[in-house]
Amino acid sequence: MKTIVITGASSGIGLETARILTRKGFNVLGIGHSEVNCNRAKGSILSENPDADITYFLADLMQQREVIRVADEITLCLNQKSNGKLHALINNAGCVRSWYMTTEEGYEQQFALNHLAGFLLTYKLLPALKKAHGRVIMTGSESHKGIRVHWDDVMLRRRYNPLTAYKQSKLCNLLFAKGLNDRYATAAIRAYVVDPGLVKTGIGNKETGWLVNFIWTLRKRGGVQPEVPAETYAFLCERETVPDGLYYYLCKKKNYSKQVTSENADRLFKLSERLCGIEYENEIAHDRKVRAK
Amino acid sequence: MNVMITGAAGGLGRALANECGSRGFNLFLTDVNEDGLLSIKLGLERQFNVTVTTKSCDLTNAESVDKMLAIIDKYGIRFDMLLNIAGLDFEGEFIGRDREKLVKIVMLNNAATLRITHAIIKRRRPGKHFTIVFVSSLASMFPMPLKATYAASKRFLLDFAASLRQELKKEDVNVLALCPGGMVTTQETLCSIKAQGFWGNVTTNPLEDVARNTIDRALAGRSIYVPGIPNRLLSFFGKIMPRSWVAAVVYWRWNNAQSKWLNHN
Ligand SMILES: NC(=O)c1ccc[n+]([C@@H]2O[C@H](COP(=O)([O-])OP(=O)(O)OC[C@H]3O[C@@H](n4cnc5c(N)ncnc54)[C@H](OP(=O)(O)O)[C@@H]3O)[C@@H](O)[C@H]2O)c1
Repeated sequence: MKTIVITGASSGIGLETARILTRKGFNVLGIGHSEVNCNRAKGSILSENPDADITYFLADLMQQREVIRVADEITLCLNQKSNGKLHALINNAGCVRSWYMTTEEGYEQQFALNHLAGFLLTYKLLPALKKAHGRVIMTGSESHKGIRVHWDDVMLRRRYNPLTAYKQSKLCNLLFAKGLNDRYATAAIRAYVVDPGLVKTGIGNKETGWLVNFIWTLRKRGGVQPEVPAETYAFLCERETVPDGLYYYLCKKKNYSKQVTSENADRLFKLSERLCGIEYENEIAHDRKVRAK
Repeated sequence: MNVMITGAAGGLGRALANECGSRGFNLFLTDVNEDGLLSIKLGLERQFNVTVTTKSCDLTNAESVDKMLAIIDKYGIRFDMLLNIAGLDFEGEFIGRDREKLVKIVMLNNAATLRITHAIIKRRRPGKHFTIVFVSSLASMFPMPLKATYAASKRFLLDFAASLRQELKKEDVNVLALCPGGMVTTQETLCSIKAQGFWGNVTTNPLEDVARNTIDRALAGRSIYVPGIPNRLLSFFGKIMPRSWVAAVVYWRWNNAQSKWLNHN
């Protein structure tokens, strides 16, 4: 049975994706940061499908040492359950903030959770992904368009605008996927970004101020149920032949921002590696040569 | 420039550490939270090209402080700036609160702050300008029923800063008292600000701005920094209104906010 890791699997899009994937017979390892929410999510999946193979891991992915700890736990679990193979990693956990708030490392929270956490977790789970020729899927958003990365102040300390921070973090999701594809095509790892569309979830109502809260409460009324985007993740995980393309919406390829270039991806890789204290192997030169031939 | 920050693993401490790091200042960070110190040290070193030294220390414990000072002396570290951020906030009716927890507010916010300030002034870099920042609060401007101990401890720092500033002028030292309203540093502060409704929002200051302006103003030789126009207005009214009226208004307001906050939790 193939194993899939989903972060932020305790509510919203992540929960529905976990549900649909267990229904399709995948073994799902979910990560959440609240025990109550994880238990509720597990109960809800098992109540409708008692055979579902679902395990939850607790970790506050905003903190890097927690990412590292949970990655080690998951690696152990993969070794026991699936010969150390990971079929897919879905980096979905995300947040919205109204104010400049920092993690223990002093990193801005939206950048830290929406981008860096996935960057570090993917690095830690890379050996397991390689064994399975696995897929890495980020939850992106249309809001990645109309913005560039603020290279000289990525944490936006000089002028913090919460929406800019969110949009930038979603652009980083695309750049990360692009950079992974540049680096690991020969290792047969493939990365994607899913645009879930506007979805009725609680994301804008958690740890936000009244304005963001209010706007999100109005805005999400026009959204779809999280079951809808969950289909796209299932599509990308299920296909026997590896789908091409980078950015998906409703199971179809979609155009993305012109900012998503290999050059920007390399730049983000360098910066993120420094901020996480890691180094992805440099297979990039090799990969580009292979593709040029 | 060598800067010591106490309470460096907390929200405001981290924001100030980032601010100093981005200016290329070297940092000596202390806090009771050892893991937190390790994380912020990593974060700073990865972001900025600065030297970061950390030592966990309970500032309310003289022995613990002596151990830290011994390390500072062993390596001959000398400072250009001290940011006194460590402090406790704690709300509720005096008589309904745990006695030792109340005493702890004064022990940390006041006694411990004096202890470390005295020790670090003695370890300033010789012949160079020295800067001290105390984190007081907007709460220091008023008598604050239901936050009585906290507000009084912050008043202590406000007055102490003004006096010390005068004493040390001739020694080329500047002392600044920072008096912020609320700042969103944790989920709890967020809840408490939300519970205060309109006034909570108006008096809330963006953390990153407060951090930047605090360092700017401290280096420019200013004596007090009340962030945000609404807070400056409030502190002005606090000065001209009779103190018993202020106490009555504050009591009424906090009573509402706190019952909401307690129900919410
Ligand atoms: N909703 C939309 O319209 C929309 C549109 C575009 C993109 N997205 C993206 O979709 C992703 C999922 O969002 P959602 O709408 O499904 O929101 P959500 O319901 O709030 O889900 C977010 C998930 O992440 C978890 N999480 C939050 N902070 C965490 C932390 N520090 N450590 C570990 N897990 C944490 C949450 O746990 P709890 O259950 O404990 O809160 C939850 O499981 C996000 O990346 C978001 O940017 C959403």
